[in-house]
Amino acid sequence: MKCEQIQRELTAYLEGELEGARGSHVRGHLRGCESCRAVASSEAAVRDGLRSLPPVDPPPSLWSGIQAQLATAEVADAQRPAWRRAFARWAPAFAPFGRFAIGGLVAAGVVAVVWWRSDRTAEPVVAMRPAQVTPPTPVPTSPPGEDVTADLAAEAAANTAAYAKSADELLAIAHEVRAGWPAERQASFDSNVAALQRAVSGAAEGRPRQKALRALIRYLDRAAARDEVALAGGLGQ
Amino acid sequence: MTDLADQHLSIPPPALADPRPRVAATLADDAQLIAACRRGEARAMEMLYHQYKRRVFGMSHRIVGGSDAEEVAQEVFVRVFRGLANFRGDSALSTWIYRLTVNAALSHLAKRGRRMEISDDALADVPAPPVTERDPALASRIEAALAKLPAGYRAILVLHDVEGLSHEECAAILGCRVGTCKSQLHKARARMRELLDGAGPGGVA
Repeated sequence: MKCEQIQRELTAYLEGELEGARGSHVRGHLRGCESCRAVASSEAAVRDGLRSLPPVDPPPSLWSGIQAQLATAEVADAQRPAWRRAFARWAPAFAPFGRFAIGGLVAAGVVAVVWWRSDRTAEPVVAMRPAQVTPPTPVPTSPPGEDVTADLAAEAAANTAAYAKSADELLAIAHEVRAGWPAERQASFDSNVAALQRAVSGAAEGRPRQKALRALIRYLDRAAARDEVALAGGLGQ
Repeated sequence: MTDLADQHLSIPPPALADPRPRVAATLADDAQLIAACRRGEARAMEMLYHQYKRRVFGMSHRIVGGSDAEEVAQEVFVRVFRGLANFRGDSALSTWIYRLTVNAALSHLAKRGRRMEISDDALADVPAPPVTERDPALASRIEAALAKLPAGYRAILVLHDVEGLSHEECAAILGCRVGTCKSQLHKARARMRELLDGAGPGGVA
């Protein structure tokens, strides 16, 4: 295991990158370990062999070939339409702005997602009595290009308030119809509403509280709807 | 104690200095040369060619092999001269030319769709004495073993060991991190040792 560790460090050692204690540690191991010394000698021979490889001279035809290709390319350039020459001249100038273009696209994507989510959370959930229940007021969102993140907290609070208002209105309606219910059903209704209201007050600000309010609204909505169905069908309790 | 003293001589020492003289063109020299080449001055273009021809051709030769090296080197220089107008100087001219060379060589290999064909005969012809610094056939055996390596290993060995570039320069040219460059060098040298010792799966013994 120790030899493996030393051999992993041999390249750095041979490059003179190990200073002080680390270099001394490797050197000390090499003094006592024949196999690691052999590996180090072998790697040093490879390194020195590569370093002493003679330079490779290109054939004389290389330069003339380059000149011929450059000449051909220049003739082709001259024959290209003017708009393509202009594009080729200006295109590199826009290259540094590439990253900003990507940043702009990402920012636009974030704004789109924020809008989509706020639209979903602001959907009116009370459908039973549209004439009597005020739907949550859509919260104005920031126009594109402005700092939408600064408005997010206010937006969430406004959505919560809209849900709470809907729940209050629906609760008032439910209390009206509750008066005609038998005592057992009234008790069950009161207990359920109290539990849901506790859940609302115990929920954290923002999305958790909105979720609890939606649960309360759904319950009140169903309770009122059941009552209406019962009245319409003459199916009294 | 005597044994230890003897062993001291056999421990390979760390590299002391870059043994290969580098063309130490200053940034000001580069800027003047680039400006003259952009103006289309034939003498400046020829100077730039002579300054880099061995490095470009040598790298191409060692990465793609002798038969295609001229084609690749020609493509690199044409890209250099035509691209100088857009060269912003974010890196040194030499780094940019090395990068063009490595990219051209590797994409040439990819287009060719196969690794450079080096017959095992090329290695078998060479006697396989133990690897020592006095091995007279070492250079040709190293060239032959280099040609058997995967292209990525060839690139790092040529840049770091043959051309004598630093890890930082290699990383800039290859577009990787310095740490990656170091580990690649370690693996490439280990593979070279295997090939030269005939001990590895691709051994030449």
